[in-house]
Amino acid sequence: MNIAITDPHYAVKIKAIQALYGVTDPELNINIVDLGLVYDIHINEELKKVSVEMTLSTKSCPLGGIITNHARVAIEDKLDDYDAEVQLVWEPKWNYDKISAEGRIALGL
Amino acid sequence: MKPPDEHISHISTVVPYYILAAVSFVIFQILLIISLPEIHLHYFQPKLLALTHLFVLGWGTMVIFGAVNQLVPVIAETKLYSQILPVINWILLTIGIPILIWSFWTFQFIWITYTGASLIIIAIILHAFNIYKSIFAGKSNIIADILLMAHAWLFITGSIGLLLLINLISPLFPEEHLHYLKIHAPIGMAGWFLQLIIGVSARLVPMFMLSRRENTKLLSTSFYTLNAGLALFLIEGMIFHSFHGRYIYLLLVIVGLAAYATYIRGCYKSALRKQKDAGMRQTFIAIGFILAALVLLIISIWVGTSVQPQITTLFGLTFFCGLVTIIIMGQTFKTLPFIVWMHITKPNALPELMPKDLFSEQWVNIQLWVYLPGLLLLLTGLAVKLTILLQAGAFLMLIAAIIYTVHVLYVTGKLKTKQL
Repeated sequence: MNIAITDPHYAVKIKAIQALYGVTDPELNINIVDLGLVYDIHINEELKKVSVEMTLSTKSCPLGGIITNHARVAIEDKLDDYDAEVQLVWEPKWNYDKISAEGRIALGL
Repeated sequence: MKPPDEHISHISTVVPYYILAAVSFVIFQILLIISLPEIHLHYFQPKLLALTHLFVLGWGTMVIFGAVNQLVPVIAETKLYSQILPVINWILLTIGIPILIWSFWTFQFIWITYTGASLIIIAIILHAFNIYKSIFAGKSNIIADILLMAHAWLFITGSIGLLLLINLISPLFPEEHLHYLKIHAPIGMAGWFLQLIIGVSARLVPMFMLSRRENTKLLSTSFYTLNAGLALFLIEGMIFHSFHGRYIYLLLVIVGLAAYATYIRGCYKSALRKQKDAGMRQTFIAIGFILAALVLLIISIWVGTSVQPQITTLFGLTFFCGLVTIIIMGQTFKTLPFIVWMHITKPNALPELMPKDLFSEQWVNIQLWVYLPGLLLLLTGLAVKLTILLQAGAFLMLIAAIIYTVHVLYVTGKLKTKQL
């Protein structure tokens, strides 16, 4: 996921991404950003809210609820003034091509 | 946002099954050592019958029930229909199985034997009902179909088993007892265990290895040919009391296994993660035992079990102690640490430990490298009728079973420390 430097919420989004790097997929043992699960981040400055759009490797992933909760907690820990909300989306469908170069190295691919 | 944690089955539907299965595994290995002097005899004798049923019910089926209670919600993308039924089933099995094993061991068939056997059948029916209701409420797919059919075969196997028990004291069947035993055992092995292994591994292997390609047409081919072979075998055996078409049925099963092997090969070839961890290594070794068991099965059909009953024992040990046990030993540590982790990790704090921290990869490797030589020694000892090899093999297998059980208790013991 790329964030343009011209994005008006660049600084907050970078902090949110940094927080999400700390959330690990329990099976693959790499963070959810490098795994390509995080699709988008929206900032509402008025409501002081960070909304994350992310997916799971499979709809029925039993760890899904835990991962999304950890994503929310990680952002709220990093951005004290903000509330976080994580929304699961299923389009586009996640596939292994979404794993970043760093993720592939971490997986030994 | 509603997190999909409804896919997590309650801990009591899974973990007690793993623990009781592990304990049964150790008891099985102890009783195997005690029974070694009689292992060369015909397979229809008290101790071998007791051992076989302790293995298939106390070890294999027990751990499969627990794993299926966790896996069905994942496979069918639904929740487990009832969280109470698995608890009831566990209690029924815990009472019923020891009674049945005692009856076989002592070869005494009294009222309590039939009570125990009935409790087991009730547990099988209730478990199958729970799985059927869960899958029908979820998403249909070939793996869910395989699981459904496997449970149907389990029910048929258990029912014939109960009738065979009654037949021992009050003849029910027109043909001799062994004729029906030759139906009861293969449909349990292929219909329940083999089919379950095909279904579950078809889901887990590509998931753990990050396979890009899953050819489900091959799985469908495997499903239809395997079940056609078994159904024809059952119909001829039960209605026409013969096995004239056995080579055709065997061929259908072989085609099914070949389709499954091709599916697994495709998953492996398209996998991003080809490096296998200890659990996956054991899974692939176990799958290799299918071929060994198949060769022994063909030999036993060819020479006739009346001439060489030891070949049937050799085939049974290869299938159960090779395929079933090794795959369970490997997959336990691919599933149980995650199940425990899901229940102890706090949703509102980042975890300090991950599932990989809840077990020892090294001990999973040690368990394999103690068990596998033990099994090979046991099989060789049986083939060449050398007692010292049998004893050495069975002793190593017992050590491996103890390592496995202590490891399972170590992982499940983490449930007491809800501080992640």
